[in-house]
Amino acid sequence: MPKDALHSPETLLDVRNLSVDFRTPRGRVKALRDISFPIRKNRIVGIVGESGSGKSTVLWALLGLLAKNADVMGGEVRFGDRDLLQASEAQLRATRGEEISVVFQDPMTSQIPVLTYGRQMLDILYRRPNVSAAEKRRLAVEMLGKVGIPDPDKRIDQYPHHFSGGMRQRAGIAMALLTGPQLLLADEPTTALDVTMEAQIIHLLQDLQKELDATVVVVSHNLGLIAELCDDVVVMYAGEVIEAGEVREIFHNAQHPYTRALLECDPARIDDVSRKLPVIPGDIPDLTKPRSGCIYAPRCQRALPVCHETLPPDVARGETSLARCHLLDGLHHDPSWPPPLDVMTVGQEGSAGTKPARAKHDAALLEVSELNVQFETIGPLRARLKGLSQRHVDAVLDVGLSVAPGETVGLVGESGSGKTTLGRCVLNLVPSQAGSVRFEGKEIRNMPEARFKPLRRDMAMMFQDPVGSLSPRKSVRALITEPFQIHDITGVDLDAEAERLAEMVRLPKHFLSRYPHELSGGQARRVGVARALALNPKLIIADEPTAGLDVSVQGEILNLMADLQAEHGLGYLIITHNLPVVRHIADRLAIMYLGRIVEEGRTDEVFARPVHPYTRALVEGVPQPDPDRRRVHVSISGEVPSLLNRPKGCDFAGRCPFAQDRCRAEKPPHVTMADGRRHACHFPLG
Amino acid sequence: MLYYLTKRLGLSAVVIGLVVLVLFSLLHFIPGDPATIALGPRATEEAIARYAEKMHLNEPVWRQFLIYIGNALTGDLGLDVFSDRPVTAIIMERICFTLALVGAGMGWAMLLGIPLGCLAAVKPNSWLDRVTGVLSVGTIAVPSFLVSIWALLIFAVQLRWLPAIGAGEPGQIGDQLMHLILPAFAIGLSWVGYLARMVRASMLEVMGENYIRSARAFGLQPRRVIFGYALRVAILPTITLIGMGFGGMISSTVFAEIIFARPGLGKLIFDAVMARNFPIVQGAVLVATGLYILVVLFSDILIAWFDPRVRESL
Ligand SMILES: Nc1ncnc2c1ncn2[C@@H]1O[C@H](COP(=O)(O)OP(=O)(O)OP(=O)(O)O)[C@@H](O)[C@H]1O
Ligand code: SF4
Ligand code: SF4
Ligand SMILES: [Mg+2]
Repeated sequence: MPKDALHSPETLLDVRNLSVDFRTPRGRVKALRDISFPIRKNRIVGIVGESGSGKSTVLWALLGLLAKNADVMGGEVRFGDRDLLQASEAQLRATRGEEISVVFQDPMTSQIPVLTYGRQMLDILYRRPNVSAAEKRRLAVEMLGKVGIPDPDKRIDQYPHHFSGGMRQRAGIAMALLTGPQLLLADEPTTALDVTMEAQIIHLLQDLQKELDATVVVVSHNLGLIAELCDDVVVMYAGEVIEAGEVREIFHNAQHPYTRALLECDPARIDDVSRKLPVIPGDIPDLTKPRSGCIYAPRCQRALPVCHETLPPDVARGETSLARCHLLDGLHHDPSWPPPLDVMTVGQEGSAGTKPARAKHDAALLEVSELNVQFETIGPLRARLKGLSQRHVDAVLDVGLSVAPGETVGLVGESGSGKTTLGRCVLNLVPSQAGSVRFEGKEIRNMPEARFKPLRRDMAMMFQDPVGSLSPRKSVRALITEPFQIHDITGVDLDAEAERLAEMVRLPKHFLSRYPHELSGGQARRVGVARALALNPKLIIADEPTAGLDVSVQGEILNLMADLQAEHGLGYLIITHNLPVVRHIADRLAIMYLGRIVEEGRTDEVFARPVHPYTRALVEGVPQPDPDRRRVHVSISGEVPSLLNRPKGCDFAGRCPFAQDRCRAEKPPHVTMADGRRHACHFPLG
Repeated sequence: MLYYLTKRLGLSAVVIGLVVLVLFSLLHFIPGDPATIALGPRATEEAIARYAEKMHLNEPVWRQFLIYIGNALTGDLGLDVFSDRPVTAIIMERICFTLALVGAGMGWAMLLGIPLGCLAAVKPNSWLDRVTGVLSVGTIAVPSFLVSIWALLIFAVQLRWLPAIGAGEPGQIGDQLMHLILPAFAIGLSWVGYLARMVRASMLEVMGENYIRSARAFGLQPRRVIFGYALRVAILPTITLIGMGFGGMISSTVFAEIIFARPGLGKLIFDAVMARNFPIVQGAVLVATGLYILVVLFSDILIAWFDPRVRESL
């Protein structure tokens, strides 16, 4: 931003030329290099960037809470008339929690499990000796009420594990706002939450910011969230601020090629689902030896020779915008850049463009009907002691689903909806109580493992956590040929197989000797795909195949999966809560809620015209990466109920805006409509 | 909670039953006549007959077992072979010496070891951490009977600072405390190292947790963060360790009581074994086992008290 804006009185906090290094065994990671941006009063500022771009490092630097191996190499953080980087530990302590407070990413791990909320909140108010304990408690209860915790005077005496994820994040916000801070920092405040919860938290933050006149900084990699919530945006890449400006400027008139590429890669923005997803080729650079020219040059679609040598200038536009690129000013100024929004600036990898047409499906590969999976919750003795007759929860209830060869079915639901259980049950990893699971016409439900084992070659699982599910002591070569060993397949040349598979998932050969911790998220995911493909399966069940991946890499994996499908006629069952992703890759969708499938049909139809109120809430719940399409209200409130107290009637009745008496009394049966869509609702939307 | 307690107590009863069974079999399945074994080879015919009568040795074995259990339940552990006094009474006289010793030994080890581990974890690689590390390794490696002997030689025999043997004059608290110092030092020393290491390891882990970072981000004082937050969680595995380690502690009291000639449970067992006084051995081991089970139970309850998640899952 223009230098004079930095000194304007509306600036609450000003980061100037901040540089931070991390000392690591690999050398010094130059995580932040000379970054500057102001935070204006009473605004919501978004810091957006891919994983590893340094977003969190900025936040922790503001608080003086960087990791022990961090060195602040220079710069200033002006807050009022102080420089927070020079402040003593005691001064910082007086600032933290009082003037600057934080909402954390993962409310499940960031609240101490052994203290009640009351205790934790009282602790935060320890700097108020004149306020009595009773008064502090009253303040805490009031704040909990404000963030939407029901019965706050009772809930305050509960522990974090009594709260669901969404409630915990509300409580986290209450704790952060308790002292009435001038500046609220939020690091990925909704990443750990479900779609419907995310929408609620975004609105809560927005309302509270207005009400309390606070200034908020939100860190996120989710462009939709930034567009929906923020007034100003700072875009970071590999430890630099490459663009900053007001939210409309960034989303409608991005100047930097990286910002532009990032926006183009977001599947939520791409309406044409027939095309392959765009990707930014390459990886984030190695920050131990950052390059001298433009940090983005190796991946930039417009890079010029000069970009590799000279640091591009910070080019200001108007009062509040700035971007760092040679194309914008100076000798290499290109007046035709940026092109209009509808021109794509990044390629579609392989650039053929259109997705391959799908095979016509005939006989189903996988057919699930009336499947029920129950989990025992307590032992028989305890049930008797507690006088309970029901000892099970229905994790999967009357589920019917089919996948044809060459078809992709998306199984969508929020956490706890039973989608992973269903996937595991199909793979015979969880016993089921009733129904049928047929694979190529053969009943496989609860088959003994000895008989099922040969089938595991035809049905493979891609796991959710790519690095965690790879054994850390095995090389990539060993990992991707492991399935051969598991199935005692001899007579194949493992080295040749490893190379064939690596090529199939487009992993360069020299990666074969690497170990999992040396892989980026996208690369680890490729190894997961290679493993799943090793034995030429017919069906792949992929649990959140792109969770935790940056948008620029996500496209690669999804395109890869689509190519492999076209080539080998694979059937995919994709388990996810990411609607923009399934919208692109799935032919059909099944929406699960509390273990039941509430709607099932062709993806385009389901998105265009959801029949079940829950589906509609999900579809509307995705924040759009366009500040002009902000929602004014969230369509549903509340959270997914616990399986332990499944409602008697419709499972969704407690949250459904259309619920009527009948909904609460009888469970809606599955109904097939004329166009083949199935749903379970008494009053389907027209 | 109630269910949990019932289950735990039931389990404890089973364990105690098994211990009795083992002790009992020891006596009855060793070749030879139990009465002779119990009374020793020098016992007279008449004594053996009387003993056999009293111990129901003429009954079938299973009945003997049931009789013993039944008696034990009512607090009757049989009679001392030599003095004919009730075993229960003898054990009760001695047990407080052992309890005092264990309490004092564990007490000072906790008072020193836990804060030491804490401070070492807060400042890893500081001089305090290094000293603690060396100290831990050093003290854990040394068996407590060696410590006992050296402590006795140095402080009691050479320096004459502290009394060497006995438990002090009955009724004189000061004197008894003086007598407690050396043995408590001896049995607690290795625990200082143990606890410091354990607390350090779990503190280091907990200090890296997100909720500790949250507490610091809310500006809480370091003291509150360390002791009010981190230690509260980090202490949990340590409590379990202490509970489980109680058995080892009892066995080190045996050595300490022998070396310092303290009239405790350990010494009682030792003497009884030497004298082949089996009713005493049986009774004392039983009581020690019961004590151990109680302590483990107590430590589990303590954990439940500290950790609401455990509390509710009970
Ligand atoms: N404690 C640390 N030691 C060494 N390197 C670190 C440390 N913390 C962060 N880094 C490195 O600094 C860079 C910036 O990390 P940072 O966590 O700020 O990124 P981020 O934008 O928040 O990413 P994410 O979206 O994954 O949270 C990365 O290259 C990261 O690997
Ligand atoms: S300076 Fe060059 S490489 Fe960097 S973003 Fe601009 S055009 Fe691309
Ligand atoms: S059945 Fe009733 S409560 Fe359930 S989704 Fe339909 S309208 Fe809503
Ligand atoms: Mg981060």
